[in-house]
Amino acid sequence: MIFSRLFFLYLFLPVCIFAYAGAGKLKNKNTVLIIFSLIFYAWGEPVYVFLMLLSALVNYSAGMLIDRFRGGRGDSIATFAAVAYNLLMLGIFKYSGFVVENINAIFSSSIPVPDLRLPVGISFYTFQTISYIIDCHWEKVETQKSFKNFLLYITLFPQLVAGPIVRYSNIGHELENRKTSVSDISYGLNRMILGLSKKVLLSNQLSIIADSMLENIDNASFVGAWYGAAVYALQIYFDFSGYSDIAIGLGRVFGFHFDENFRHPFICKDITEFWQRWHISLSTFFRDYVLYIPIFGKRRKYGGLFLVWLCTGIWHGASWNFIIWGLYYGLFVFLEMKIGKKRMKKIPLIIRQIYSKIVIVIGFGIFYFEDMGKLGAFFKTIFGFGGNGFISIGDKISVVNNMYLLIAAVICCLPIIEGFKKLSEKSFPVKTVISFSTAIVSAFLLIMSSIMLVDATTNPFLYWRF
Amino acid sequence: MSENNKKNDSSIDINLSSGKKMSKRRRQMLIKHYMAVFNVCLIAFIFVAGFVYLLFFKRETVSNEENRELTKFPKFTVSSYVKGDYTQGISDWYDDTVHGRSSIKKFISSHILPLKGRKFGEDNIELYGNGTNKENSGDNGEESVDKPAPAVTTAAKITSASTETAAETTTTVTTMPDINNPAADGEIANNIVVANNRGLMLYGGGKESGLEYAASLNAYKAALGDGVNVYSMVCPTAVSYYMPENYRNLSADEKSDIDNINSALSGVVPVDIFDTLLLHKNEAIYSRTDHHWQPLGAYYAAEKFAETANVPFADLSEYETVSLPGYVGTLYGYTKSAALINNPEDFVYYKPRINTVTTRYTTAFTEPREDSLLLDPGPMATSSYYMVFGGDGQITHVNTDCKNGRTLVIFKDSYGNALLPVLTSSFENIYLCDIRYFDLNAVSFVQQVQATDLLFAMNTFSAVGENRKFIEANRTRQVG
Repeated sequence: MIFSRLFFLYLFLPVCIFAYAGAGKLKNKNTVLIIFSLIFYAWGEPVYVFLMLLSALVNYSAGMLIDRFRGGRGDSIATFAAVAYNLLMLGIFKYSGFVVENINAIFSSSIPVPDLRLPVGISFYTFQTISYIIDCHWEKVETQKSFKNFLLYITLFPQLVAGPIVRYSNIGHELENRKTSVSDISYGLNRMILGLSKKVLLSNQLSIIADSMLENIDNASFVGAWYGAAVYALQIYFDFSGYSDIAIGLGRVFGFHFDENFRHPFICKDITEFWQRWHISLSTFFRDYVLYIPIFGKRRKYGGLFLVWLCTGIWHGASWNFIIWGLYYGLFVFLEMKIGKKRMKKIPLIIRQIYSKIVIVIGFGIFYFEDMGKLGAFFKTIFGFGGNGFISIGDKISVVNNMYLLIAAVICCLPIIEGFKKLSEKSFPVKTVISFSTAIVSAFLLIMSSIMLVDATTNPFLYWRF
Repeated sequence: MSENNKKNDSSIDINLSSGKKMSKRRRQMLIKHYMAVFNVCLIAFIFVAGFVYLLFFKRETVSNEENRELTKFPKFTVSSYVKGDYTQGISDWYDDTVHGRSSIKKFISSHILPLKGRKFGEDNIELYGNGTNKENSGDNGEESVDKPAPAVTTAAKITSASTETAAETTTTVTTMPDINNPAADGEIANNIVVANNRGLMLYGGGKESGLEYAASLNAYKAALGDGVNVYSMVCPTAVSYYMPENYRNLSADEKSDIDNINSALSGVVPVDIFDTLLLHKNEAIYSRTDHHWQPLGAYYAAEKFAETANVPFADLSEYETVSLPGYVGTLYGYTKSAALINNPEDFVYYKPRINTVTTRYTTAFTEPREDSLLLDPGPMATSSYYMVFGGDGQITHVNTDCKNGRTLVIFKDSYGNALLPVLTSSFENIYLCDIRYFDLNAVSFVQQVQATDLLFAMNTFSAVGENRKFIEANRTRQVG
């Protein structure tokens, strides 16, 4: 089921909230959430829902074993087995086709390529279970003794299919102890509507521009290629951060507090900072669980770094462009590490801003083109060797036709809401006015987004495919 | 952040101490609480209103603007459920059949989408697509010309729309390019410019692919011999006549591609209608809101063809003129341009007064059924080219009062549909076949119906684009 559809917004969600509100005790509320979460997932994955249930069962059992054999050999075996199981499932469903295709290409073999459809959200819930198992092993969290609560952690529909990757350590306590205040619901609904608006009013509209510019990259001008890639970066940001906003907002409505996944990444001054602001739950996952894997000996610092970026790329998809994309960012993070924080800060801010935006825009160009031939054409064009001129009349028309949308998109990348928050702290009357305005703006955005959804065809979030 | 959020939770249950200062704080907490209640109530009201509206108001079944039947509630089967099609189908049905859908879409086009930006230049240009002048396959080597033609049935999306009249309910099967990917149909472009309230498809051009088209037709002539006259009518589109001067280079030159094709024909007679239509540029020969020509444009083209084929041709005065106001065609569906939806046009077509007997067949020339020559879209809220001339996925045979012994086969794309009624005074028998929906060997078919004349009539996009491959596939098809 997709958040940005009328079916979800005006049928599934109201019924779910109504049932949740009427469920009484927290235990019953949790039962309601599990049932609706399973319906939510099974709506799109009627078969793979059993794979997810199996994953929950395996990881719950592993957690129990870790707890039982705490500190002993059984603890390590259970940890290893559970992590291996999770990676194996991810490998089979996400990467087996890619691996076999490449083996066939390299060795001219003809091994049948597995035709497995990627289960929605597997990359996200697998990482959640891995984090749980490792945290149990490291004794960072207490083992969840109740399968029902563990199932709720895995299946919780706001974050199930496209993150953020919610750590058990963040919400483990809230599975059994949480209260929802009116302020929570108010904040949650507003946050959800903000995310929906990002997706429907900005990302969906930006996608029309990005696709029109990049799909025909062979004929794009120099400016057209840069423009297309920059708009695509904005599209992805509003799409993914919009989903995270909806997840965080819905979580709050049900009393959960998920960590932020985006912190205005485009205001970054360098690439290291960009990744501290973009898809934070993934970056921190790799930082906590992969970066310090002791497999590189003395070169651990840099070896781990490139392993993290290789994993980041692969995680996004079984395609070479994602691997290049990950390593590309790894290279810039490595260079910035070599230059050092102090020396980086000495570089004039404007230069750092320009540098980081150029790297990011090219990065999203790499992200866009799964076809290596098209990716090559993209590189040729953005470096001025495309042969289609500097700028086309089509580029000019597109910019003018979409100028207000583009301005709005750029403004919405800035921390405006934080600005209002600061402003509201100055005096109570200002805070009241801002609260009132927020309610009105939220209502307006919800109506606008809903109207636009009548005109939308199926518009799944891009990160669903990961 | 989550810690901050937890700290920021407000609750009026805070244990406040007494005193004036605390009382003020309590009042502030109360106001804050009521603001949150107001916020929740406001949003909840919208959700409840939306829930009631979407669940209980009458659902739409047909979209006239898109000329399609809206999604139906899916039938349950175990297989469809396991594949996820059933549940997906329910969501699609729920989202696609919203009450008042047409009005809401019009509101979006008129009031929301224009907020994205401004129109460009004095001609109020809007661009849908990137405006790059992409050559059709054949010239640029992107797509192999040896690539087998795609399956005929996948070339266009077949939809059906019910039209209710006062007397009876009929179902009109029409074909319409996929609204999300019009170029998949082969006779329309993904790049569309709206200038001065007129939609114009940007033509990509294709010199080498045009030569392939000509070579295919030459092969038909060689196979059919002198007993059958073979003609080629490549129809230019509106972009050649109505593109503002400053933006002409957005589109390739259709005239030069038509000349290129005509110069390569051998034994095939070209019917060059470019200049003929140019003479009538100031009349309504092309739709402003649709990618087709208007029946008047087809009339002038047919006149030129009749002259070339040396057959009689009836004056317009011998037809009954039917005018359907409020016509908004396919280009609105693709662009959702306010300039198009807010400026509908008249769709004017001509009904022959002479007697005709029309028989429709399947694409394998089976299952004949008598039908009317033209459909009657009158009672519909919005009419369209397809609703008058019918769909493409069929073979139509018309027997006329013109007893001159001439039998014409037309291999066409949807542009050719409008030629049929205005040629009924020129040929005794006319067979209208769509190149994309034809399941026989084309040469054998022409021989089977004892055709004296064979006309290939399609727009430039079909002639130099992927659709040209159907012509060759139809010629070489082995039918068991």
